[in-house]
Amino acid sequence: MIEKLQTLWPEITLFIAACAVMIVGLSGTRSIRALCTPICGLALLIATFLSLGGLGGVDITVTGPLPVLASYGKAMVGVIGVILLLLIPGVVDREFDAAPGGPGEAPQPPRAFEAIRSNTAEFHAFFLFSLMGLMLCAGADDLIWLFLALELTSLPTYVMVTISTARNRSLEAGVKYFFLGALGAAIFLYGFALIYGGTGSTNLEAVHASIVAQADAGGINSITMAGFVMAIIGLCFKIAAVPMHFYTPDVYQGAAAPVAAFLAFVPKSAGFFAIMLLTATLGWSFGASGTELPGPVHSALYIIAVLTMTVGNVLAILQNSIKRILAYSSIAHSGYMLVGIIAGPGGGGGADSTLSRNGLSAVWFYLVCYGVMNVGAFAVVASLERRRADGTHDEIDSVADLRGLCASRPLLGWTMVISAAGLLGLPPLLGFFGKLPLFTSGVGAGHYLLVIILGINSAIAAYYYLRLAAAPLLESRDPAESVGGEIVESPYRLRTAAGLISAVGVVALALGLGGPLGSAATSVGQSGFAPSYVGRRAADRSPAVIPAAAHTVDDEPRDVEPAADGSVDGATIESDGGPPDARFDHAR
Amino acid sequence: MHGCLTSCGVLPGALNLPMPPLAATEVGSYAPVLLLIIMAITFAVANVVLSRIFGPRREGNIKATTYESGMDPVGTARKRFNVRFYLIAMIFLVFDIEIIFLYPWAATFPNIDHSTDQAMIWLARIFFFMLTTVIAYIYGYRKGVFKFD
Amino acid sequence: MNLALLIAIPLVFAFAVALSRPAQARLLATIGTLLPVALYIVQALGFPWLRGETDFYNTDAIDLFPSLGVRLSLNADTVSMLLIGLTVLLGPICVIGSYTAVQDRLKTYYGWLLVLQAAMTGVFAARDAVLFFVFFEFTLVPMYILISLYGSTNRKAAATKFFLYTFTGSVIMLAGLAYIAWVSATRTGEWSFDLTTLTVASSEYLSNREQAWVFGALMLGFAVKVPLFPLHTWLPLAHTEAPTAGSVILAGVLLKLGTYGMYKFVLPMCPEAALAYAPLVAVVSIIGILYAGLICWVQTDVKKLVAYSSVSHLGFCVLGLFSMTSIGLTGSLLYMINHGLSTGALFLLIGMMYERYHTRSMKELGGLAARMPVWATFMVFFVMSSVGLPGLNGFVSELYCLLGTFQAGDEWAHHPTRAGLGGPLGPWFAAVAAVGMIVGAMYLLYMVGKVVWGPLVEPHGHGAHAHGHRHSAGAPASAPSDAHAHLPADLTPREIGILLPLAALCIFLGVYPRPVLKALEGPTQQMVESLHMHTRGSLQTPWPVGAPPPPRPAHTAPAATDPHDVPANQHPADEPPAAPASGGAGAGSAQEAGH
Repeated sequence: MIEKLQTLWPEITLFIAACAVMIVGLSGTRSIRALCTPICGLALLIATFLSLGGLGGVDITVTGPLPVLASYGKAMVGVIGVILLLLIPGVVDREFDAAPGGPGEAPQPPRAFEAIRSNTAEFHAFFLFSLMGLMLCAGADDLIWLFLALELTSLPTYVMVTISTARNRSLEAGVKYFFLGALGAAIFLYGFALIYGGTGSTNLEAVHASIVAQADAGGINSITMAGFVMAIIGLCFKIAAVPMHFYTPDVYQGAAAPVAAFLAFVPKSAGFFAIMLLTATLGWSFGASGTELPGPVHSALYIIAVLTMTVGNVLAILQNSIKRILAYSSIAHSGYMLVGIIAGPGGGGGADSTLSRNGLSAVWFYLVCYGVMNVGAFAVVASLERRRADGTHDEIDSVADLRGLCASRPLLGWTMVISAAGLLGLPPLLGFFGKLPLFTSGVGAGHYLLVIILGINSAIAAYYYLRLAAAPLLESRDPAESVGGEIVESPYRLRTAAGLISAVGVVALALGLGGPLGSAATSVGQSGFAPSYVGRRAADRSPAVIPAAAHTVDDEPRDVEPAADGSVDGATIESDGGPPDARFDHAR
Repeated sequence: MHGCLTSCGVLPGALNLPMPPLAATEVGSYAPVLLLIIMAITFAVANVVLSRIFGPRREGNIKATTYESGMDPVGTARKRFNVRFYLIAMIFLVFDIEIIFLYPWAATFPNIDHSTDQAMIWLARIFFFMLTTVIAYIYGYRKGVFKFD
Repeated sequence: MNLALLIAIPLVFAFAVALSRPAQARLLATIGTLLPVALYIVQALGFPWLRGETDFYNTDAIDLFPSLGVRLSLNADTVSMLLIGLTVLLGPICVIGSYTAVQDRLKTYYGWLLVLQAAMTGVFAARDAVLFFVFFEFTLVPMYILISLYGSTNRKAAATKFFLYTFTGSVIMLAGLAYIAWVSATRTGEWSFDLTTLTVASSEYLSNREQAWVFGALMLGFAVKVPLFPLHTWLPLAHTEAPTAGSVILAGVLLKLGTYGMYKFVLPMCPEAALAYAPLVAVVSIIGILYAGLICWVQTDVKKLVAYSSVSHLGFCVLGLFSMTSIGLTGSLLYMINHGLSTGALFLLIGMMYERYHTRSMKELGGLAARMPVWATFMVFFVMSSVGLPGLNGFVSELYCLLGTFQAGDEWAHHPTRAGLGGPLGPWFAAVAAVGMIVGAMYLLYMVGKVVWGPLVEPHGHGAHAHGHRHSAGAPASAPSDAHAHLPADLTPREIGILLPLAALCIFLGVYPRPVLKALEGPTQQMVESLHMHTRGSLQTPWPVGAPPPPRPAHTAPAATDPHDVPANQHPADEPPAAPASGGAGAGSAQEAGH
């Protein structure tokens, strides 16, 4: 148990920092209140350091469905959390801050501080709590832990959405988000309960052992299967995938841009961590080729992935609001990442063990890429405000508001261009290198139709990303257009910095600095369970599990090499029918 | 099950501590329960009796109404409560939960072998837990929830 | 290293342009494109043109993304060297040709032009499939910006259509490449996108059916770029809307990316499928040749006419490639160069005309020879080159393409491994395609007759009086609405200067094409040999073409001339006896051999 506690140091760091900002943020002195952001940043950096094992390096001896995800998943959260943090100042409590005002503009006098009306402390604390929940998700090895972690990730975000602006649309967004979130949580909690009912344990390792035993004994029982399918459908809420995606555009639009950036990354990552853990618990050893998830889960994920990509991209074309475009694109990106989940980690060993074939690695890698690119796009929205005639501020919303940005504010304009081009997956930017492993892993797993759909969807996405990139770069702003008020840069320059960091990241990580990230991703996907039994022949499985309804194109199994060259397929087929791995006996 | 709860030291089951058998048949093992019931009844009766004896008596219409947290119990239910009530309810919740967690801890702690590190870890855990409560208290204090004006 | 310099110099100058003042942009861009020309000439002198297919430079590849197997490796063989030459040559011509045409946002214009230059050079030099894809896609961005900022009225839609068409095609192409890489990875145990590795893996390990799918995916990407018949609709729009330099580069180099891709990827990677589907591709090309030619005939917009003529001309180019004969391939590769030269020049000429008259409509223009004799001379010259007048460059390549198509059956029939199987194409294809030459002559000569000769027609406001006024008064006195008022009626020395090298090359390649043909002999013959070696004819053309293939002859071990030094017969060896040929089997039910 002590060992377990030692893996939680990053979370504990964040917790301590959250306690600290709750008190610091309520100080009557403005300069002390301003310490909240550095405290959070410091805590996140320390947490990143600790999650990488401190000076000792990443410990990969931990068991679990995805042991290394605990380390690199948390590190990723820490790093992108820092960028997200830069967007946070100014979201709440602007009236108590000395609004510095733009150049040549008198600073607005702040209101007298009232603790009861201030939200700085809570906002920062919730920010850290949510990231802490995300980190806990990465290291979960138990369904109850996973559920609590998911809720810890989500609950603060409901509040953050609601208090992010003083407008009614935030309230509406918060309420929508809360109720639909509760619905999603109820569904996956019910799924977890069914998994417990079907396998007799909540510990993922024991669940896995039980599933292996059931599969060997003639088929996974239907309660377990139903549990996994329900859990995944419930988690679709977190990742904004299709049957549960309806809230996304409204909530993103209603929330302030920094919070929308947060929503696009944190709950999505939590959902993907959870789905990765659950699918790794199931293992990719079913289906006709013996390298798929069990039939129902495979079909469900397949349908969800196709619908999510298509719906997200097609609806994004119709939007005019930047945040709605980014919301629908966030839906679409979830669909892309599900391709990696469906593809699975490959058989392990040789060419199978690299980022190119390992779908789980590809998902983690894409999460990092998506996080970086997405923050950039949202940072631009957060950095621009429309100043109304009556002196109030509001965020820009329409794509038309970006026109001519590269000329008027080159940093912001180029950030938007680079982020949009990156999200589009345009080589040589980061988005392309993120999508490439999804492509190769999908191809490697034999899901050609899915990869083609992924490709066509990337091309559809080009249409609206081009609008986002062309507006600042190619169009010029008509002065007569500024009806709603002049567009000014936000006085909180850290937001511009956040955008700049991510834009630099999008370029630099793609051109040379992505090597370590790629190796980290490669190790993330190494499942603690999967390789030991991937590749069993489907004939051993129960009829209930074999049929993979959505498996359409590849009716011809890939030619299996003779085992002479030591290929994975051959080796594992030989071990078919042998005793299960000793570890599972132990776990049982 | 090695869940989150167990690893946080909240549920005692994880340590396999020597617990008294639940299926004990002697009546004597229920003595504490009986004692608790007697104490509760005594406390309630004593309060009523003592206030009857020592309390001042000022009869009146308002005094005769049912006590409903200072609200008029008769009339529309769609009334605005003072937001302070929510704050107080929250603070109450914090301390209430704290008590709920403290009891099982206190009940388990004596059974731990005090010569090992385990005891220190258990102690550290509850101190950590208490610390969070203290922070919640400080937070509430600075937020001004204890001020009524 | 030198190739890297050819890419790096324009990039560096692009950054310099971005940081400089607008007034210097023009100068920097000129230097940034002329330097590579000088560098290229130095390299070309030392290049072993006659050594054949093998990549020349020994560049150490740098790992760009080790975990994905993506490497930064550049190299050049004869073919890529020729096409790099074309790219490098058109660079300064485009820059100098834009001196007067582009007047605002100079930094953006020249900066992106330089980036485009670098990307195009990179495509031809890349020896890693992902790197190729990166450059291939990155050519879209500058072109998109050039069209949508500096184009004419409908430029946004044209740019978007251009981007989306190409992007869609190439993403599917990427899926095909990923599949090959995966097959290669399962065999070798490590991921690599190296072109040689992929070629070996694809041609050796893929089953017929897999090859057919990969062929489809790759062809889709390249056919959009070429463009082949049903996918060509973006091209006329993009050409019409693009600024002159954009059109020149589009016609001169970007379209060649498609045919180069077919030569470098499709043919060597999917020989079996290419052989089987060559008739299909040929039919599509021929439809493109004739259909686009007929469309040209009814055009009134000169630029659109030339744009459609590109579709028609590149049909010949693809036809030559898919004849899969040495002559056809040579003709096709030569065609890429020639089309770049003559169509590029035609677009330049149209741009010069447009700068003076602000219209491209044949209804408003006529008999310009009277007004601009020098321009008319060049126009007629390049039209003749494009039509294929013997003695000029177009003739040689067109003849070779058609000859290759004609001989395809013969040449393949005489190859030892495929005795009696027949080639992909044959005389009928050549005969029908040859009609396209006549159509080409018709529309181009018709256009010349209308615009250059005949009675003088000038748009309103550009009459003799206006010209006289301009000549005498110079720029300040002329109508302020005319931004290019300082241009004289006929070509300036600058304009003649950029046309002359193109004209000289046209004459050189027309009169004495032998050096280039000689240089291309090696690569094309090696390609054909490799094609022969890797095709067994077991994948049937979906419909009967020519004589039905006889039962497969006993497989003889090929000579050890395989460039990849991989035993090519290993594959057929573990394959079951060939199934009897099933005539008319569809693509989906194509006979499976070995897998």
